[in-house]
Amino acid sequence: MFSLALTDYDAISLSAKVAVTATLASLPVGFAVAYVVTYLKFRGKVLLEVVINLPLTLPPVVVGYFLLVLLGKKGWLGPLLESVGIRLIFTWKAAVVASAVVGFPLLVRSIRIGMESIEAQLIQASRTLGAPWYDTLFTVILPLSIRGIVAGSSLMFARSLGEFGATIIVAGNIPGVTQTIPLAIYEYVSSPTSETMAVSLCVVSVILSLVVLFLHEVIGRKLVRRA
Amino acid sequence: MKNFLLKLLLTLLCAFFLAGSTLAGEVNLSIAASLREVIDDLSATFSKQNPGVNFLKNYGASGTLAKQIENGAPGDIFISANLEWMDYLKSKNMMDADRIRTFAYNTLVFAGSTAKQVATMQDLIKLEKIAIGSPKSVPAGEYAMEAIKKAGIERQLEKKLVMAKDVRECLMYAERGEVDGGFVYRTDALQARQAKILFTVPQDLYPRVTYPMGLTLAGAKNKEAEAFYKYLQSADAAAVLEKYGFGLK
Repeated sequence: MFSLALTDYDAISLSAKVAVTATLASLPVGFAVAYVVTYLKFRGKVLLEVVINLPLTLPPVVVGYFLLVLLGKKGWLGPLLESVGIRLIFTWKAAVVASAVVGFPLLVRSIRIGMESIEAQLIQASRTLGAPWYDTLFTVILPLSIRGIVAGSSLMFARSLGEFGATIIVAGNIPGVTQTIPLAIYEYVSSPTSETMAVSLCVVSVILSLVVLFLHEVIGRKLVRRA
Repeated sequence: MKNFLLKLLLTLLCAFFLAGSTLAGEVNLSIAASLREVIDDLSATFSKQNPGVNFLKNYGASGTLAKQIENGAPGDIFISANLEWMDYLKSKNMMDADRIRTFAYNTLVFAGSTAKQVATMQDLIKLEKIAIGSPKSVPAGEYAMEAIKKAGIERQLEKKLVMAKDVRECLMYAERGEVDGGFVYRTDALQARQAKILFTVPQDLYPRVTYPMGLTLAGAKNKEAEAFYKYLQSADAAAVLEKYGFGLK
């Protein structure tokens, strides 16, 4: 009853590859943005916060469509990217972009919470001792916000594993290239004769989510103990 | 005040539930995506001639439609783009088997907006991305996959196939230009604005595209559905099919 086709193994490894790449690529940007939003004051900050949180409330298909309008052959940035030889639509890179955009608010939110819980006195102490802002950033803020970073990363990773709407629009359903687990399940479930195959992949999906969440809890606890 | 709100809530709930039930004069159509314009045309004409008939149209991939009907979705008339899905519902005893007829025929083409020279199946190997309906549920994809296998290029095209959920999405991919081209029906390609027919798939590579139509068991009890079913077999309907490029024999 539990059987996986060859394309299913492709889907699983592809899902993992896309989720890892999206999370790693978003981490530096997410950390920088969280820093800006937590510690800097400037006019229009609310607007930035709204824009960052937009992918969280927009339907993922809308996010996918906007990405298509932006990066497609006839899109705003499309011709520019093509002149440099970068083709994103219907490649695994587009799947990474879709997952990154959709998971970005989750990442920033978690890192922000981690940063906000750092005692302001520690940062002030670092400043009074003469450390420039980047020194404070890497030696005080970064280590103390690790819990937020880990929480954000695992949330984003889990979200990437389940990303469907934006992915199918901008990366398409290409077995072996962009067909992640949700896309494979969707294709199975659309057909009357392939439903049992869908069940197997669903089980895998559940196991993956459980593992990620379990690791998230364990690592989070270990870090708190060290602090 | 509380009493009034409670009555208002109950009224709204009743309205919601009643709105969902099938009223007299409603015909539920489950139609293969490529027949969209034909059925829109025919149902509009029929509605004008028979006021009071309301059509609920569900266009999609024939396999997906068959699955919906099997799982209890309302459907009075089912028109599939290949024999497989009609036979599937017949085997599940959901169709009025004696009344199944052939509605139309079609041919498979490869259409796209690529600048590359594509004139035969073998030329497809040169392309980077090819749109195809998902062979698990879209007849156009099943026909295309058979043609690909018979032409011996299945392995070469392995990572180039972009799966679409029905033939119209396939056409949309071809139109948008993100793929080099896609396997669609001739009738779909005739509707295209940017994509043009690059070549016709040789008929010896795939079985003839046949659209069986039938009344479901529920549809056989629906007078308006029966009337429309007869209308679909009339000369008027044949004329509309011809207008859109479908084969009749």
